[in-house]
Amino acid sequence: MRTWNLSTGILRSVAACFCTSLAAAALAAPGDPPAQPLATELEARLAGSPSIYLVVDVVRRVVDIKARAVLLDRIVLHGVEVVAHRPFFSPRHAATLELPTVWTVTNGPGDTDREIIAPPVLRPYSSGDDEEEKEPVPATPTPRPTGPQPTPTPVPEPPVSYRARMDSGWDLLVTDALPPQGLVARFAAAVRDGWRRLRGEAPPPPPALALAMAREDAQRLHHLARSGMKILLVAAP
Amino acid sequence: MSADLPPTLDETPEAAPPRRWLAVVLVATAALLLLSGGALLVLARLGQVAVASPLRPVTASASGEDEKILARRAAAAKTLERLRPRGVYIVVDSYRNRLRLYRDGELLRTAVCSTGTGVVLRDPRNGRQWVFDTPLGERVVERKVKNPVWAKPDWAFIEEGMLPPTDPNERFDPNSLGDYALYIGDGYIIHGTLFKTLLGRRVTHGCIRLGDEDLEFVYRHTPIGSRVFLY
Repeated sequence: MRTWNLSTGILRSVAACFCTSLAAAALAAPGDPPAQPLATELEARLAGSPSIYLVVDVVRRVVDIKARAVLLDRIVLHGVEVVAHRPFFSPRHAATLELPTVWTVTNGPGDTDREIIAPPVLRPYSSGDDEEEKEPVPATPTPRPTGPQPTPTPVPEPPVSYRARMDSGWDLLVTDALPPQGLVARFAAAVRDGWRRLRGEAPPPPPALALAMAREDAQRLHHLARSGMKILLVAAP
Repeated sequence: MSADLPPTLDETPEAAPPRRWLAVVLVATAALLLLSGGALLVLARLGQVAVASPLRPVTASASGEDEKILARRAAAAKTLERLRPRGVYIVVDSYRNRLRLYRDGELLRTAVCSTGTGVVLRDPRNGRQWVFDTPLGERVVERKVKNPVWAKPDWAFIEEGMLPPTDPNERFDPNSLGDYALYIGDGYIIHGTLFKTLLGRRVTHGCIRLGDEDLEFVYRHTPIGSRVFLY
Protein backbone atom coordinates (compact mmCIF):
# COMPACT_ATOMS: atom_id res chain seq x y z
CA MET A 1 0.00 0.00 0.00
CA ARG A 2 2.79 2.36 0.92
CA THR A 3 4.61 1.46 -2.30
CA TRP A 4 1.53 2.25 -4.30
CA ASN A 5 1.23 5.66 -2.57
CA LEU A 6 4.87 6.47 -3.27
CA SER A 7 4.55 5.52 -6.92
CA THR A 8 1.44 7.62 -7.23
CA GLY A 9 3.26 10.55 -5.72
CA ILE A 10 6.15 10.20 -8.11
CA LEU A 11 3.76 9.88 -11.04
CA ARG A 12 1.93 13.02 -9.94
CA SER A 13 5.22 14.94 -9.67
CA VAL A 14 6.31 13.81 -13.10
CA ALA A 15 2.94 14.74 -14.54
CA ALA A 16 3.09 18.17 -12.89
CA CYS A 17 6.58 18.84 -14.27
CA PHE A 18 5.48 17.67 -17.70
CA CYS A 19 2.43 19.93 -17.66
CA THR A 20 4.48 22.92 -16.47
CA SER A 21 6.96 22.34 -19.27
CA LEU A 22 4.15 22.10 -21.78
CA ALA A 23 2.63 25.33 -20.52
CA ALA A 24 5.98 27.11 -20.70
CA ALA A 25 6.53 25.78 -24.20
CA ALA A 26 3.08 26.93 -25.22
CA LEU A 27 3.74 30.45 -23.92
CA ALA A 28 7.01 30.82 -25.80
CA ALA A 29 6.69 31.25 -29.52
CA PRO A 30 8.05 28.31 -31.52
CA GLY A 31 11.63 28.84 -32.56
CA ASP A 32 12.27 31.51 -29.90
CA PRO A 33 15.76 31.34 -28.41
CA PRO A 34 15.87 31.04 -24.61
CA ALA A 35 15.41 34.48 -23.08
CA GLN A 36 18.72 36.09 -22.15
CA PRO A 37 18.75 37.96 -18.86
CA LEU A 38 18.74 41.73 -18.97
CA ALA A 39 21.32 43.71 -17.04
CA THR A 40 18.58 45.09 -14.80
CA GLU A 41 17.34 41.59 -14.06
CA LEU A 42 20.83 40.43 -13.14
CA GLU A 43 21.27 43.40 -10.87
CA ALA A 44 17.93 42.74 -9.21
CA ARG A 45 19.18 39.26 -8.35
CA LEU A 46 22.41 40.63 -6.89
CA ALA A 47 20.62 43.35 -4.94
CA GLY A 48 18.48 40.69 -3.30
CA SER A 49 21.38 39.67 -1.07
CA PRO A 50 22.96 41.86 1.63
CA SER A 51 26.38 41.75 -0.02
CA ILE A 52 28.25 44.50 -1.78
CA TYR A 53 28.49 44.06 -5.56
CA LEU A 54 30.30 45.86 -8.32
CA VAL A 55 28.79 46.95 -11.62
CA VAL A 56 31.42 47.40 -14.33
CA ASP A 57 30.15 49.29 -17.34
CA VAL A 58 32.69 48.72 -20.08
CA VAL A 59 31.16 51.30 -22.40
CA ARG A 60 30.72 54.18 -19.97
CA ARG A 61 33.96 53.11 -18.27
CA VAL A 62 32.83 53.24 -14.67
CA VAL A 63 32.81 50.84 -11.74
CA ASP A 64 29.88 51.32 -9.40
CA ILE A 65 30.11 49.98 -5.86
CA LYS A 66 26.56 49.08 -4.90
CA ALA A 67 24.43 47.36 -2.31
CA ARG A 68 20.68 46.90 -2.43
CA ALA A 69 20.66 48.94 -5.65
CA VAL A 70 22.12 51.93 -3.80
CA LEU A 71 25.12 53.54 -5.45
CA LEU A 72 27.69 53.76 -2.65
CA ASP A 73 30.65 54.93 -4.69
CA ARG A 74 31.83 55.30 -8.27
CA ILE A 75 35.24 54.82 -9.84
CA VAL A 76 36.04 56.25 -13.25
CA LEU A 77 38.17 54.01 -15.46
CA HIS A 78 40.94 55.16 -17.75
CA GLY A 79 40.65 52.11 -19.92
CA VAL A 80 39.02 48.72 -20.27
CA GLU A 81 41.01 46.15 -22.22
CA VAL A 82 41.52 42.44 -22.39
CA VAL A 83 45.01 41.33 -21.42
CA ALA A 84 45.94 37.89 -22.68
CA HIS A 85 49.27 36.13 -22.93
CA ARG A 86 49.99 35.39 -26.56
CA PRO A 87 53.07 34.46 -28.57
CA PHE A 88 55.14 37.49 -29.46
CA PHE A 89 54.86 36.83 -33.18
CA SER A 90 51.07 36.59 -33.28
CA PRO A 91 48.80 39.38 -34.59
CA ARG A 92 46.68 41.51 -32.25
CA HIS A 93 42.95 41.31 -32.49
CA ALA A 94 40.02 42.58 -30.46
CA ALA A 95 38.74 40.23 -27.79
CA THR A 96 35.05 39.59 -27.40
CA LEU A 97 33.07 39.20 -24.21
CA GLU A 98 29.41 38.35 -24.01
CA LEU A 99 27.55 40.85 -21.83
CA PRO A 100 25.77 41.25 -19.51
CA THR A 101 27.19 38.61 -17.24
CA VAL A 102 27.95 38.07 -13.57
CA TRP A 103 31.34 36.96 -12.36
CA THR A 104 32.17 35.81 -8.84
CA VAL A 105 35.57 36.29 -7.27
CA THR A 106 36.97 32.89 -6.29
CA ASN A 107 40.32 34.10 -5.03
CA GLY A 108 41.36 37.68 -4.64
CA PRO A 109 44.02 39.75 -2.95
CA GLY A 110 41.49 40.69 -0.27
CA ASP A 111 41.71 37.04 0.83
CA THR A 112 45.43 36.58 0.71
CA ASP A 113 47.24 39.87 1.30
CA ARG A 114 47.15 39.81 5.08
CA GLU A 115 49.59 40.84 7.74
CA ILE A 116 49.73 38.21 10.49
CA ILE A 117 50.78 39.10 14.02
CA ALA A 118 51.24 36.83 17.02
CA PRO A 119 52.87 37.53 20.36
CA PRO A 120 55.60 34.93 20.99
CA VAL A 121 54.37 34.13 24.52
CA LEU A 122 51.47 35.17 26.72
CA ARG A 123 52.06 36.32 30.28
CA PRO A 124 49.42 36.08 33.02
CA TYR A 125 46.88 38.87 32.96
CA SER A 126 47.34 41.83 35.27
CA SER A 127 45.01 44.80 35.25
CA GLY A 128 47.87 47.20 35.89
CA ASP A 129 46.33 48.49 39.15
CA ASP A 130 49.37 47.42 41.21
CA GLU A 131 51.70 49.37 39.00
CA GLU A 132 49.47 52.41 39.21
CA GLU A 133 49.61 52.39 43.00
CA LYS A 134 53.37 52.65 42.93
CA GLU A 135 53.34 55.58 40.54
CA PRO A 136 52.97 59.11 41.91
CA VAL A 137 49.53 60.61 41.30
CA PRO A 138 49.73 63.35 38.67
CA ALA A 139 48.41 66.80 39.50
CA THR A 140 45.85 66.78 36.68
CA PRO A 141 44.69 63.24 36.01
CA THR A 142 44.34 62.41 32.35
CA PRO A 143 42.15 59.61 31.06
CA ARG A 144 44.20 56.52 30.54
CA PRO A 145 43.38 54.83 27.25
CA THR A 146 42.64 51.32 28.37
CA GLY A 147 40.24 50.24 25.70
CA PRO A 148 40.60 48.96 22.18
CA GLN A 149 44.13 50.01 21.51
CA PRO A 150 45.32 50.56 17.97
CA THR A 151 46.80 47.38 16.58
CA PRO A 152 50.57 47.47 16.96
CA THR A 153 51.20 46.58 13.34
CA PRO A 154 51.03 49.47 10.86
CA VAL A 155 48.70 48.79 7.96
CA PRO A 156 50.62 48.14 4.76
CA GLU A 157 49.65 50.20 1.73
CA PRO A 158 47.58 48.18 -0.75
CA PRO A 159 49.17 47.45 -4.13
CA VAL A 160 48.14 49.39 -7.23
CA SER A 161 48.14 46.41 -9.59
CA TYR A 162 46.72 43.00 -8.78
CA ARG A 163 44.63 40.16 -10.15
CA ALA A 164 41.53 38.47 -8.80
CA ARG A 165 40.53 35.03 -10.09
CA MET A 166 36.95 34.69 -11.32
CA ASP A 167 34.65 31.70 -11.57
CA SER A 168 34.39 32.32 -15.32
CA GLY A 169 38.01 31.31 -15.83
CA TRP A 170 39.03 34.91 -16.39
CA ASP A 171 40.99 37.18 -14.13
CA LEU A 172 40.09 40.71 -13.21
CA LEU A 173 43.21 42.81 -13.48
CA VAL A 174 43.00 46.05 -11.55
CA THR A 175 45.86 48.32 -12.42
CA ASP A 176 46.93 51.90 -12.61
CA ALA A 177 48.76 51.27 -15.90
CA LEU A 178 48.14 48.76 -18.65
CA PRO A 179 51.15 46.66 -19.73
CA PRO A 180 53.38 48.55 -22.18
CA GLN A 181 52.58 47.68 -25.78
CA GLY A 182 55.66 49.11 -27.52
CA LEU A 183 57.62 46.70 -29.68
CA VAL A 184 60.76 46.80 -27.54
CA ALA A 185 58.84 46.41 -24.28
CA ARG A 186 56.84 43.48 -25.65
CA PHE A 187 59.98 41.82 -27.00
CA ALA A 188 61.69 42.18 -23.63
CA ALA A 189 58.63 40.76 -21.87
CA ALA A 190 58.53 37.81 -24.28
CA VAL A 191 62.22 37.09 -23.67
CA ARG A 192 61.71 37.25 -19.91
CA ASP A 193 58.72 34.90 -20.15
CA GLY A 194 60.66 32.52 -22.41
CA TRP A 195 63.47 32.42 -19.86
CA ARG A 196 60.93 31.70 -17.11
CA ARG A 197 59.48 28.84 -19.14
CA LEU A 198 62.94 27.41 -19.76
CA ARG A 199 63.46 27.35 -16.02
CA GLY A 200 60.11 25.61 -15.55
CA GLU A 201 58.42 28.41 -13.66
CA ALA A 202 54.66 28.98 -13.44
CA PRO A 203 52.74 29.32 -16.69
CA PRO A 204 51.22 32.70 -17.52
CA PRO A 205 47.90 33.56 -15.90
CA PRO A 206 44.58 33.25 -17.76
CA PRO A 207 43.19 36.12 -19.81
CA ALA A 208 42.15 39.11 -17.79
CA LEU A 209 39.70 41.92 -18.07
CA ALA A 210 41.96 44.85 -17.27
CA LEU A 211 40.48 47.87 -15.57
CA ALA A 212 42.86 50.79 -15.63
CA MET A 213 42.16 53.48 -13.08
CA ALA A 214 43.83 56.06 -10.88
CA ARG A 215 46.35 54.78 -8.37
CA GLU A 216 44.20 55.52 -5.31
CA ASP A 217 41.13 53.96 -6.90
CA ALA A 218 43.04 50.74 -7.56
CA GLN A 219 44.03 50.68 -3.90
CA ARG A 220 40.44 51.35 -2.84
CA LEU A 221 39.18 48.28 -4.69
CA HIS A 222 41.87 46.01 -3.24
CA HIS A 223 40.05 44.97 -0.07
CA LEU A 224 36.80 44.42 -1.98
CA ALA A 225 38.35 41.73 -4.19
CA ARG A 226 37.44 38.88 -1.85
CA SER A 227 35.95 35.45 -2.43
CA GLY A 228 32.25 35.64 -3.14
CA MET A 229 32.22 39.23 -4.38
CA LYS A 230 29.86 39.47 -7.36
CA ILE A 231 30.74 41.59 -10.34
CA LEU A 232 28.11 42.49 -12.90
CA LEU A 233 29.58 43.34 -16.29
CA VAL A 234 27.38 45.42 -18.53
CA ALA A 235 27.73 47.43 -21.70
CA ALA A 236 25.36 50.34 -21.47
CA PRO A 237 24.26 51.68 -24.83
CA MET B 1 117.45 64.70 -40.02
CA SER B 2 115.22 61.65 -39.84
CA ALA B 3 114.42 62.42 -36.18
CA ASP B 4 112.48 65.55 -37.21
CA LEU B 5 110.13 63.69 -39.56
CA PRO B 6 106.99 61.82 -38.40
CA PRO B 7 107.43 58.07 -38.42
CA THR B 8 105.78 56.19 -41.23
CA LEU B 9 103.85 52.94 -40.91
CA ASP B 10 106.66 51.06 -42.52
CA GLU B 11 109.06 52.31 -39.95
CA THR B 12 106.89 51.38 -36.84
CA PRO B 13 104.91 48.20 -37.64
CA GLU B 14 104.21 47.43 -33.92
CA ALA B 15 102.11 50.68 -33.40
CA ALA B 16 99.10 49.53 -35.53
CA PRO B 17 97.16 46.27 -34.83
CA PRO B 18 97.77 43.57 -37.37
CA ARG B 19 94.94 43.27 -39.84
CA ARG B 20 94.59 39.58 -39.15
CA TRP B 21 93.80 40.16 -35.47
CA LEU B 22 91.36 42.91 -36.31
CA ALA B 23 89.47 40.56 -38.57
CA VAL B 24 89.36 37.88 -35.87
CA VAL B 25 87.94 40.34 -33.36
CA LEU B 26 85.32 41.56 -35.82
CA VAL B 27 84.27 38.05 -36.75
CA ALA B 28 84.11 36.99 -33.10
CA THR B 29 82.00 40.03 -32.24
CA ALA B 30 79.67 39.38 -35.12
CA ALA B 31 79.35 35.74 -34.14
CA LEU B 32 78.64 36.72 -30.54
CA LEU B 33 76.00 39.20 -31.64
CA LEU B 34 74.41 36.63 -33.91
CA LEU B 35 74.37 34.03 -31.18
CA SER B 36 72.91 36.46 -28.64
CA GLY B 37 70.32 37.69 -31.09
CA GLY B 38 69.43 34.16 -32.02
CA ALA B 39 69.12 33.17 -28.38
CA LEU B 40 66.91 36.18 -27.70
CA LEU B 41 64.75 35.33 -30.70
CA VAL B 42 64.42 31.74 -29.53
CA LEU B 43 63.47 32.93 -26.03
CA ALA B 44 60.98 35.40 -27.46
CA ARG B 45 59.53 32.61 -29.60
CA LEU B 46 59.21 30.39 -26.53
CA GLY B 47 57.74 33.07 -24.33
CA GLN B 48 54.43 34.79 -24.37
CA VAL B 49 53.70 38.41 -23.81
CA ALA B 50 50.78 40.17 -22.16
CA VAL B 51 48.90 41.74 -25.04
CA ALA B 52 46.28 44.35 -24.29
CA SER B 53 43.50 44.27 -26.84
CA PRO B 54 40.45 46.45 -27.05
CA LEU B 55 37.34 44.81 -25.65
CA ARG B 56 34.46 44.32 -28.04
CA PRO B 57 31.36 43.63 -25.95
CA VAL B 58 28.80 41.33 -27.47
CA THR B 59 25.40 42.14 -26.09
CA ALA B 60 23.81 38.85 -25.17
CA SER B 61 20.58 40.18 -23.77
CA ALA B 62 17.71 40.77 -26.08
CA SER B 63 17.69 44.35 -27.19
CA GLY B 64 14.91 46.28 -28.77
CA GLU B 65 11.82 47.84 -27.39
CA ASP B 66 9.23 45.17 -27.86
CA GLU B 67 6.65 44.71 -25.17
CA LYS B 68 8.16 41.65 -23.54
CA ILE B 69 11.52 43.32 -23.05
CA LEU B 70 9.93 46.48 -21.73
CA ALA B 71 7.81 44.49 -19.30
CA ARG B 72 10.81 42.54 -18.03
CA ARG B 73 12.85 45.69 -17.64
CA ALA B 74 10.03 47.41 -15.76
CA ALA B 75 9.59 44.42 -13.44
CA ALA B 76 13.32 44.34 -12.64
CA ALA B 77 13.38 48.10 -12.06
CA LYS B 78 10.45 47.72 -9.70
CA THR B 79 12.32 45.03 -7.77
CA LEU B 80 15.37 47.27 -7.49
CA GLU B 81 13.23 50.14 -6.28
CA ARG B 82 11.65 47.91 -3.64
CA LEU B 83 15.07 46.83 -2.38
CA ARG B 84 16.38 50.37 -1.93
CA PRO B 85 16.52 51.50 1.71
CA ARG B 86 13.93 53.92 3.03
CA GLY B 87 14.45 56.43 5.80
CA VAL B 88 17.80 56.74 7.54
CA TYR B 89 20.77 54.65 6.56
CA ILE B 90 24.52 54.75 7.13
CA VAL B 91 27.29 54.23 4.58
CA VAL B 92 30.84 53.46 5.74
CA ASP B 93 33.78 53.76 3.35
CA SER B 94 36.37 51.60 5.08
CA TYR B 95 39.22 52.61 2.77
CA ARG B 96 38.85 56.36 3.09
CA ASN B 97 37.51 56.06 6.64
CA ARG B 98 34.42 58.12 6.13
CA LEU B 99 30.95 57.57 7.54
CA ARG B 100 27.98 59.15 5.78
CA LEU B 101 24.49 59.41 7.20
CA TYR B 102 21.56 59.63 4.78
CA ARG B 103 17.84 60.11 5.07
CA ASP B 104 15.88 59.04 1.99
CA GLY B 105 18.96 59.51 -0.14
CA GLU B 106 19.73 62.97 1.22
CA LEU B 107 23.13 63.34 2.86
CA LEU B 108 22.74 64.47 6.48
CA ARG B 109 26.32 64.26 7.70
CA THR B 110 29.80 63.11 6.74
CA ALA B 111 32.16 62.08 9.53
CA VAL B 112 35.75 60.96 9.77
CA CYS B 113 35.94 57.51 11.32
CA SER B 114 38.42 54.72 11.93
CA THR B 115 37.94 51.21 10.61
CA GLY B 116 39.60 47.80 10.76
CA THR B 117 43.21 47.18 9.88
CA GLY B 118 42.69 43.87 8.11
CA VAL B 119 45.50 42.41 10.20
CA VAL B 120 45.27 38.79 11.37
CA LEU B 121 46.04 38.04 15.03
CA ARG B 122 47.12 34.50 15.87
CA ASP B 123 46.89 32.98 19.34
CA PRO B 124 50.35 31.46 19.98
CA ARG B 125 48.84 28.75 22.19
CA ASN B 126 46.48 27.10 19.73
CA GLY B 127 46.73 28.94 16.42
CA ARG B 128 43.25 30.44 16.70
CA GLN B 129 42.93 33.49 14.47
CA TRP B 130 41.03 36.75 14.43
CA VAL B 131 40.79 38.94 11.34
CA PHE B 132 40.49 42.60 12.20
CA ASP B 133 38.30 43.51 9.25
CA THR B 134 35.44 45.90 9.19
CA PRO B 135 32.79 43.68 7.64
CA LEU B 136 31.53 44.36 4.12
CA GLY B 137 27.93 44.45 3.06
CA GLU B 138 24.67 45.36 4.66
CA ARG B 139 23.99 45.28 8.38
CA VAL B 140 21.29 46.64 10.65
CA VAL B 141 21.47 48.74 13.80
CA GLU B 142 20.30 46.12 16.28
CA ARG B 143 20.42 48.21 19.45
CA LYS B 144 21.68 51.51 20.76
CA VAL B 145 23.27 52.02 24.17
CA LYS B 146 24.19 55.15 26.09
CA ASN B 147 27.34 54.92 28.24
CA PRO B 148 28.24 51.51 26.89
CA VAL B 149 30.52 49.07 28.70
CA TRP B 150 32.93 47.04 26.67
CA ALA B 151 33.27 43.36 27.52
CA LYS B 152 36.80 42.74 26.31
CA PRO B 153 37.04 39.62 24.18
CA ASP B 154 40.00 37.22 24.26
CA TRP B 155 41.82 38.92 21.40
CA ALA B 156 42.07 42.18 23.34
CA PHE B 157 44.30 40.42 25.90
CA ILE B 158 46.20 38.21 23.49
CA GLU B 159 47.14 41.16 21.33
CA GLU B 160 48.79 42.74 24.35
CA GLY B 161 50.64 39.52 25.10
CA MET B 162 48.46 38.52 28.03
CA LEU B 163 46.39 35.47 28.85
CA PRO B 164 42.66 36.20 28.98
CA PRO B 165 41.57 36.56 32.64
CA THR B 166 39.57 33.82 34.28
CA ASP B 167 37.45 36.32 36.23
CA PRO B 168 34.78 37.74 33.87
CA ASN B 169 34.64 40.96 35.90
CA GLU B 170 38.12 41.80 34.72
CA ARG B 171 36.86 42.02 31.17
CA PHE B 172 34.52 44.96 31.67
CA ASP B 173 35.76 48.36 30.55
CA PRO B 174 33.38 51.32 30.97
CA ASN B 175 35.66 53.98 29.47
CA SER B 176 36.67 52.90 26.01
CA LEU B 177 33.58 53.02 23.83
CA GLY B 178 32.72 56.66 24.42
CA ASP B 179 29.28 57.98 25.29
CA TYR B 180 27.20 56.02 22.79
CA ALA B 181 27.27 52.75 20.93
CA LEU B 182 25.28 51.43 17.98
CA TYR B 183 25.52 47.64 17.74
CA ILE B 184 25.41 46.28 14.20
CA GLY B 185 25.74 42.55 14.92
CA ASP B 186 28.46 39.94 15.46
CA GLY B 187 30.19 42.16 18.02
CA TYR B 188 30.74 45.05 15.60
CA ILE B 189 29.92 48.46 17.06
CA ILE B 190 29.87 52.07 15.98
CA HIS B 191 31.31 53.77 19.04
CA GLY B 192 33.53 56.57 20.35
CA THR B 193 37.22 56.52 21.04
CA LEU B 194 39.93 57.76 23.34
CA PHE B 195 42.35 57.79 20.41
CA LYS B 196 40.94 60.77 18.56
CA THR B 197 44.18 61.58 16.78
CA LEU B 198 43.87 58.26 14.97
CA LEU B 199 40.50 59.06 13.42
CA GLY B 200 40.70 58.77 9.66
CA ARG B 201 43.06 55.81 9.80
CA ARG B 202 42.63 52.06 9.68
CA VAL B 203 43.56 51.19 13.24
CA THR B 204 40.63 49.30 14.73
CA HIS B 205 39.81 45.64 15.18
CA GLY B 206 36.76 45.91 12.95
CA CYS B 207 34.54 48.37 14.82
CA ILE B 208 33.86 51.86 13.52
CA ARG B 209 35.11 54.64 15.75
CA LEU B 210 33.77 58.19 15.59
CA GLY B 211 34.59 61.47 17.26
CA ASP B 212 32.31 62.61 20.10
CA GLU B 213 30.15 65.10 18.19
CA ASP B 214 29.70 62.90 15.16
CA LEU B 215 28.86 59.93 17.36
CA GLU B 216 26.19 61.87 19.20
CA PHE B 217 24.67 63.09 15.93
CA VAL B 218 24.60 59.59 14.47
CA TYR B 219 23.19 58.17 17.68
CA ARG B 220 20.37 60.71 17.82
CA HIS B 221 19.39 60.51 14.15
CA THR B 222 19.67 56.76 13.54
CA PRO B 223 16.73 54.67 14.71
CA ILE B 224 17.09 51.00 15.57
CA GLY B 225 16.57 48.94 12.45
CA SER B 226 18.37 51.39 10.18
CA ARG B 227 20.56 49.79 7.57
CA VAL B 228 24.34 50.17 7.54
CA PHE B 229 26.22 49.64 4.28
CA LEU B 230 29.93 48.96 4.63
CA TYR B 231 32.36 48.81 1.73
